[in-house]
Amino acid sequence: MSIAEDARHVPDGNAPPAQIDAEEARRARTRRIERIARWTLPALVMVLAIWGWHRVVTVNEIPHYILPGPGLVWESLVNDRAMLMDAAWLTFRITFMALILAVLGGAGLAILFNQSRMLEMSFYPYAVILQVTPVVAIAPLIFIYVESKIAGMLICAWIVAFFPVLSSTTLGLNSVDHNLRDLFKIYRASRWQRLVHLQLPSALPYFLGGLRIAGGLSLIGAVVAELVAGTGGIGSGLAFRIQEAGYRLNIARMFAALSLVAAMGVFIFAALSLVSHLLLRKWHESAVKRET
Amino acid sequence: MSAPGVTLAGTARFGGTALFEDVRLSLAAGQWTCLLGPSGCGKSTLLRLIAGLETGAAFAGEIAASDGRPVAGRVAYMAQDDLLMPWLDVAGNVALGARLRGEAEDAGRRDALIARLGLADHAHKRPGALSGGQRQRVALARTLMEERPVVLLDEPFSALDARTRVDMQELAAETLAGRTVLLVTHDPAEAARMGDAVWLMEGGALYAVPVPGSPAIRPVSDPETLRFGADLLTRLRAA
Repeated sequence: MSIAEDARHVPDGNAPPAQIDAEEARRARTRRIERIARWTLPALVMVLAIWGWHRVVTVNEIPHYILPGPGLVWESLVNDRAMLMDAAWLTFRITFMALILAVLGGAGLAILFNQSRMLEMSFYPYAVILQVTPVVAIAPLIFIYVESKIAGMLICAWIVAFFPVLSSTTLGLNSVDHNLRDLFKIYRASRWQRLVHLQLPSALPYFLGGLRIAGGLSLIGAVVAELVAGTGGIGSGLAFRIQEAGYRLNIARMFAALSLVAAMGVFIFAALSLVSHLLLRKWHESAVKRET
Repeated sequence: MSAPGVTLAGTARFGGTALFEDVRLSLAAGQWTCLLGPSGCGKSTLLRLIAGLETGAAFAGEIAASDGRPVAGRVAYMAQDDLLMPWLDVAGNVALGARLRGEAEDAGRRDALIARLGLADHAHKRPGALSGGQRQRVALARTLMEERPVVLLDEPFSALDARTRVDMQELAAETLAGRTVLLVTHDPAEAARMGDAVWLMEGGALYAVPVPGSPAIRPVSDPETLRFGADLLTRLRAA
């Protein structure tokens, strides 16, 4: 150890242990390169893909109603921005509300199921049935019985999104270290205290894992619901715009709206990852930085 | 706090087979009792019975305190695993029991205990940032914070390196003085050092082993203690 420290303090000393120095320098260099590559490589791939797309379209003289070039899509993004932003805002609102409901419903049901075995046995199978039945197949029925388009879309998105929260929170609540349970027993903690002070914190990492999946799924649910709901006064979100532009052979706008949907998905995932990191960084294995 | 003696007498069965039969273990009031035995002999089950924890075994018999009051609610527990909540910092872990009982947090006593166990610099760290020895010291601080007269130790030092283990033994002996302590261990040297009384568990039966005349805790290098530890090891191997 003292050799390594000497090497750090006197890099140009008389007899520097060159081997350790070189090894350390090499490792630092690898880390630096990796840090830069993490951002530049995906960006480079995107630039290449867009350039390739552009070349394919111009070289083959593909008409814009079949495949517009990236320039046209960008133009559509800029020219139709007012309409697209309105649509994006609506889709985002539905997605966000559905996610909130999925969290409340999923985590709430998980806690109820955890507290009562009878409840779990009675209702868990139906949660599974709701999850495995494709939402596209349920949605038309929902829109028959639910007046409000917004409510219908929320229900669709919720059905898709609540299950990952439910199942991962359930798993978390049940995977409390049994030694810690013993300790709480010795402390004569009540059922409620065990839930609040032991089970919920233990389940938090699992819940956050489910939340990240639910974020993406609620966007999918919102998009599917819009497609099924179709035109209905207020029902003009991004998915509806894609459909509408398709009917008009405005392929560039389809791509523009699609890119906004994708960007929204990435944004939701990044935001939820950040939330997860902030909540866990102090203590959970997944977020704590290791020295070595 | 005057610590009562504790007696366990009875039989525990695992399905059809007896884990131990008609044993009688008494913990002298305010003293260290060591229960030594090979892994899987049922010594942890015995401790868990006194603690009132689930064991999976059916127990017929009685567990009583010498002052006639129930044992449950008067025990503290330390295990090989430090049982710290990873999301609470050191101070939060030490004060966990008080928080669960809804008592006003006695920050002065908490910080004094943390300082006494040499953890003052770490009071706001999470367990994940501490070494194994430091974590066990936090667990000890939490146990002390509880003010329970009976302390049950289930191999709390066995995962520590030799030096840390000896330090922890001394710290525990010093801080738990006056309480009725049951130390379950598979380490003959530890039992030889720590026990005011030593019991050997083998083949479902308990044997009291006569201990050296010098009072526990005995010095690591004391020839009589070393001799005693070697004797215990021999008996363990013969079993």
